[in-house]
Amino acid sequence: MPWLRRLLNTFRPGRVQRDIDREISFHLAERADQLRSEGIGPEEANRRARLQFGNPVVQRERTWDVDIARAVDATMRNTRYAFRTLTRTPGFTVTVVLTLALGIGANTAVFSAIDTVLLRPLSFPDGDRLVELTQVREGSGETRIAPVRLQDWNRLNVTFDGIAGHYVDDIVDTRGELPERFRRAFVTRGFFDVLKVTPAIGRGFVASEHTVAQPIANIISDRRWRRLGADPLIVGRAVKMQYASIITIGVMPADFQFPASDVDMWSADDADAPWAQSRALTWLTGIGRLRQGVTLAQAETDLNRVQTYLASQYPDTDRDVRVRVTPLKDTVVGDSRASLWLLFGSVSVLLLIACTNIAALLLSRAANREQEISVRYSLGGSRRAVVAQLLTEAAVLATSGALVGFLLAVIASRAFRSLAPELPRVNEITVDGRILLYTIASTVIVALLCGLVPALRGARGVRPLRSSAHTSLSQRHLIQWLLVGVQVALSVTLLAGAGLLLRSVEALSRVDFGFDSSHVLTLHVSGTYGWETTDMHVQRINRVIDEVGALPGVESVAVTSTLPGVRDEQQLEFTLAEGRSDSAPRMFAETRVVSPAYFQTLRIPLLTGELCRRPADAGGKTGVITETLVNRRFADLYLPDREVIGLHLSGGLDGLVKNGHLFGNPPPSRIVGIVGDARETGADRAPAPTVYTCFSAPTPAPWHLVRTNGDPLAMAETVRRKIHELEPQRSVYDVAPLEGRMGDAYAQNRVRTWLLTLFALTALALVCAGVYGTLSYAVGLRRREVALRLALGALRRSVVHQLTTTSIRIVGTASAIGLVLALVFTQSLSTMLYGVTPTDPATLGGVMLLVVAVALIAAFIPAARATFVQPMRALREE
Amino acid sequence: MSTSRNDILQGTLTLLVLKTLASNKRMHGYAITTHVQRVSADLLRVEEGSLYPALHRMEQQGWLRSEWGLTEKNREARFYSLTGLGRKQLALEEESWARFTEGVGRVLRYV
Repeated sequence: MPWLRRLLNTFRPGRVQRDIDREISFHLAERADQLRSEGIGPEEANRRARLQFGNPVVQRERTWDVDIARAVDATMRNTRYAFRTLTRTPGFTVTVVLTLALGIGANTAVFSAIDTVLLRPLSFPDGDRLVELTQVREGSGETRIAPVRLQDWNRLNVTFDGIAGHYVDDIVDTRGELPERFRRAFVTRGFFDVLKVTPAIGRGFVASEHTVAQPIANIISDRRWRRLGADPLIVGRAVKMQYASIITIGVMPADFQFPASDVDMWSADDADAPWAQSRALTWLTGIGRLRQGVTLAQAETDLNRVQTYLASQYPDTDRDVRVRVTPLKDTVVGDSRASLWLLFGSVSVLLLIACTNIAALLLSRAANREQEISVRYSLGGSRRAVVAQLLTEAAVLATSGALVGFLLAVIASRAFRSLAPELPRVNEITVDGRILLYTIASTVIVALLCGLVPALRGARGVRPLRSSAHTSLSQRHLIQWLLVGVQVALSVTLLAGAGLLLRSVEALSRVDFGFDSSHVLTLHVSGTYGWETTDMHVQRINRVIDEVGALPGVESVAVTSTLPGVRDEQQLEFTLAEGRSDSAPRMFAETRVVSPAYFQTLRIPLLTGELCRRPADAGGKTGVITETLVNRRFADLYLPDREVIGLHLSGGLDGLVKNGHLFGNPPPSRIVGIVGDARETGADRAPAPTVYTCFSAPTPAPWHLVRTNGDPLAMAETVRRKIHELEPQRSVYDVAPLEGRMGDAYAQNRVRTWLLTLFALTALALVCAGVYGTLSYAVGLRRREVALRLALGALRRSVVHQLTTTSIRIVGTASAIGLVLALVFTQSLSTMLYGVTPTDPATLGGVMLLVVAVALIAAFIPAARATFVQPMRALREE
Repeated sequence: MSTSRNDILQGTLTLLVLKTLASNKRMHGYAITTHVQRVSADLLRVEEGSLYPALHRMEQQGWLRSEWGLTEKNREARFYSLTGLGRKQLALEEESWARFTEGVGRVLRYV
């Protein structure tokens, strides 16, 4: 294996050289001996021996070339040389390496998120075959599934390995000092089989455990197991929790976080419970594992075929129900997909700008080294060798940048967890071999992007030794300005995107919500279905409302099914008991189940009529809903020209009341008033027609809203203590100000906006440096000319003007091109914008102005500085 | 310098070195030059400058192996010897040399 030996020799040049020298001197000695034996004097013998042998240096080099891998040797020499030249200009080198480090680091970090969140299958075995099943029924926002229907799907389909369901609820452990609430998922038979996951300790559920007759079997999370002391003998132990004895039969692996990362317990549901037999009560979320080779469309067709059959069997409940099949990954990933690609696109554009910038820098550097390169050519250096040497320099820069960048990416990928905690699968993000490969690949691309143009251009400059750089503004300038133009255009694009997102954030912050979210504390008091009747829920929740409301410092207390001001839509269809004309549009409305004090607590104004009362106060039974409010939009849209007060609405509750409470359809409830429009579903959503049903127990653990006189968090402890006093067996959790929660709902929005703005400003800074550097260089070459003109009496102003003309023209043209690019780019943002169109002239125009202004300042400084040169000094430098 | 020297045809140096080493167990570079010169009755002279690059190249090809040793005069020298691969190469080169000389001979004999 000659190449291996040569490669080895390349890395021990000393030894190889020594051997060759020894061999040659031996030869010379032998020859001299022979000549001496022929009677020639020793000195003459030595001379003749050397003469006969030829130039020993040349011989040695020829032999040496045979012994080593020449390409590797050249690369090593180039690398050493590159290090030497680069360390001679530390300012330049550090700037370039840091720029690349930031560019590559940011790019790698965002890619690591994309790779984990979007590209990799879910971390279950054959995770790409897992799907989520939802039921679709026109006029109902409800997507959950009745347990018996899910069983039917599982039994009758031909495209799934298995179908199961889950339902997440709260449970309270009262054994500790304070009641501790945690999340529990009720799962149907086969849940873990569908996911192909087994407990790390203990076993999964068996069929008999999904019955009422058996005590509830539980599997706990690794996290909870560790909190309970990590006892390996926990399996089989029974504890009393929330009125019932429950048995722990297993512990899940630490990385199992389905259906949500906060679930700490999985319990076998009771498939034979009376409330699980209704086809009208829906609460399960369905998951399924497709059979090998089955497509989404096939599965959906299959399940809809099953559902058509069920509709014929149970027309009352199954008539309008359709099935939708979506990849489970899509559900998990949610709408972070668009944000991640946006960030990746921006960060790649930024890297491209950085490369262009560095290419321009290297180009001027190569120009400054024209002399050196000319010398190399004159001494017989080949063009290839010069290109290789210039490329090596770029490669050394890129590699150093990538090394630092990779470290930055490792740090950044950790920071994702705190920076974007709501990003799905954020805990899975790691920097591994794949990411390293990505970094290496981008380093190669970066090195070529940065180095190829300067290397080829630099190597072309075969000029006579006499320095001639300043006689003409060569073609090299054109390329340099082209590179500047690319930077300007790309940064206009990035800034346009950032500008639009910033405008959206600003527009959102000015939105009038229609309610007052300040001084409101939100919290939950634990409660679950199953052990109490609806009346009991209503009574205990009312007691908390009354007692906490009586605390000094608390203005009012209300509960609601859905937190206001965050995206949570509950679209349901209503009908009017009094009837409407057939041509009138069907009445779809956001549904909020709230206690009467909701409007006072959130300061939503009552426009006409009166506020609702508790059913008992309104002369009805505790657990029966009697009164309803609608917002102005609902009244205007669906009931124009009618006396709204006094009409009766039906429907709307089926999706919100679950699990054995409020069986059957509640009687129509009377509209007692109209309230102002509020942005219940978030700042970026115009108020929808909304129906407020007055009822204190929309769920066993509704959101409590506490309006305080002062800082809501300052009252948190008082409120918590009061509730603990009232309900020692219940846990108070999720305590936070409403404003913070509404802010959190837009955290992803904000993170995305700030990151893009950061990238765009970095791009602007790079452009600034690019224009400045290029013009400084161009002006530097014309020092003599400038000096001469000044000496001949030219005005400074006109010289500056003349020097900056090119830059103005380039920057102007490039930003116009950038504007066109921006129009394309911002189209992809349209779903992320609020209150501003993707083509908003003010934003786009402003961005262009900003870029042009910054670029012109960057051009003006070197031009102006050049005119302050002492003419005689500049001329004498020749 | 002898003007009657017959420089070795490009490419035949390999053949001469292989053949020399085939008949002698191990030799250093200087001995190879003297051997060729002596055996060819001074008709052939190895150009000394070409010898070492050629020897090293042949070693890289795996035809030769080398080791350091002492000569009778107690000088350190690098001794070359033929490998199995070199023997095969020698056979190949001899055959192609024979074809070459026969070809040239036929051309010269043709009148």
